Amino acid sequence: MTLLQPGFFSSLPVQNALLIGAGAALLSGAAGVFTVLRGQSFAGHALADVSAAGGAMAYLLGISPLLGFFSLSVLGALALEALGTRRAAGRDLAAGIVLGAGMGITALLLYLDVTVKGSAGAAVTVMFGSLFATPPGLGRAVALGALAGLLGLGFIYRPLLLASLDGELAKADGVNTRLLGAVYLLLLALAVTLSAMAVGAILSTALLIGPAAAALRLARSPVAAMGLAALLGLGCAWGGVWLAYQSYGWTPGHVWPVSFFITALVLVVYAAASLARRA
Amino acid sequence: MRWEIVAGVAALVLGGGVAQAQPVLHAVGIENEYADVMSQIGGPYVQVSAIMADPNTDPHEFEVSPKVAGELAGADVVVENGLGYDSWADKLLSGTRATVISAQQVRNLPDSTPNPHLWYDPATMPAVAKAVAGAFAAKDPAHAAYYQAQVGVFDASLKPWLDELAQVKAHYAGTPVAVSEPVADYMLQAAGMKILTPFTLEAAAMNGTDPAPQDVSFQQDLIVNRKIVVYVFNQQVRDTLSDSFRALAQQSNLRVLGVFETMPKGAKSYQNWMLNETKTLGEYLAAGGQ
Repeated sequence: MTLLQPGFFSSLPVQNALLIGAGAALLSGAAGVFTVLRGQSFAGHALADVSAAGGAMAYLLGISPLLGFFSLSVLGALALEALGTRRAAGRDLAAGIVLGAGMGITALLLYLDVTVKGSAGAAVTVMFGSLFATPPGLGRAVALGALAGLLGLGFIYRPLLLASLDGELAKADGVNTRLLGAVYLLLLALAVTLSAMAVGAILSTALLIGPAAAALRLARSPVAAMGLAALLGLGCAWGGVWLAYQSYGWTPGHVWPVSFFITALVLVVYAAASLARRA
Repeated sequence: MRWEIVAGVAALVLGGGVAQAQPVLHAVGIENEYADVMSQIGGPYVQVSAIMADPNTDPHEFEVSPKVAGELAGADVVVENGLGYDSWADKLLSGTRATVISAQQVRNLPDSTPNPHLWYDPATMPAVAKAVAGAFAAKDPAHAAYYQAQVGVFDASLKPWLDELAQVKAHYAGTPVAVSEPVADYMLQAAGMKILTPFTLEAAAMNGTDPAPQDVSFQQDLIVNRKIVVYVFNQQVRDTLSDSFRALAQQSNLRVLGVFETMPKGAKSYQNWMLNETKTLGEYLAAGGQ
């Protein structure tokens, strides 16, 4: 068995997949640290599920999937913010209700995609991603989105960390926690959108919280955790692309879904980090 | 019996005769191309309806409604494609009185046949027409001779298409082409085209599964480096990959041929639809070969 099937680096779909995977993993890893610290994993997942409706809508309208996913993801973030209460229990409730509504709309839009537009593979692509079959120009858009998201995160990093660790202290310090939370939700919406481009809406939470949770177990400071989470995510994304490319030789002519490999690697990374922590 | 044939043909020719003759049988074609052939065989004596007739949607993704179940329950004869293409119909048809004709069965094709789009194969419809006439005759013996005669009329009417295929083959056999999915492959092969697209890529597009990046690169290379003359795509299926290959083919100044999965609305008949697509292929080959 060769370590690298021929044509890996010269392959356009692979180059695109590596670029999109990198953008998604870097922003999701860094933003995910705050998601875990703030206990918003479920909210992140709800945003991802709502964004699926945007992905399905993009097929119907013939617009860029990035635009579709992001617009609905932002709408979901606003809905969460409007419904959300300060207490964790209320927040989960709001997330669950937004999630249900989002998936319901997704079911309707996917039905329309198939019956009106004849987009046969829409459901699989929206839910589980098709990293090797992305529209032209998506790679660059994802890279730009990731850059903007990382800059934004760097901008609000200090007050956000304070608010995430101790909301009362942050308020006493004059931080507008409500506004900060809203801005953070928008960044989260962007991270979820980019991840959905890579591994689909349903699986995008894996890239968001998996590497972040692993990094928080290993790193000594939140900044270090952000950097490590981004790198671990990148490793999972690129490793997944490489393994999927390799799988062409395992079952001749077919590749296993790249989303499977990425999420499997995320699980391995998290398990390894847990063991390392315990040892 | 002879005058009956004459009367039947005359009724067809006059057109108005359709209203006078009372349909005796009710028949259903799961796909509208089969329904078209059934109505050519049944003439005024068979009322035919089609279930999948919307050229904007992909029959692979069909969802069953109660109305469809009702239509199938009342049918005397049903033609389906087989090969898993319309397997949902089998469940609805079990227990009904309908005689079910499967294009796969009349062609004696094994279940493992990879390309289910049998109606693009010139050998399929003559076999289907024969089976349909037999089933009609069994259910309505009074008009058996008419149905049998219509098979001859139908077979003869395929000639312009078969001639066109033979002509394209004579001029352009071995010309390399690429496709988005297998829909028109049988026709392209009958016209002597050499399909360079890996079948695994065609199957991934048809089934909506992840394409192999190796296959995608291969196809991009075919298009960008103009190793093919015509790019053929299914107009009824829109997906990212098919769209991007088509855009690439246009940028590379290749001829792009859009084909239909089910019979399009403007088509006069099945044979006319096939003839037109083959003619367009011939024109593109003539222009692209320069």
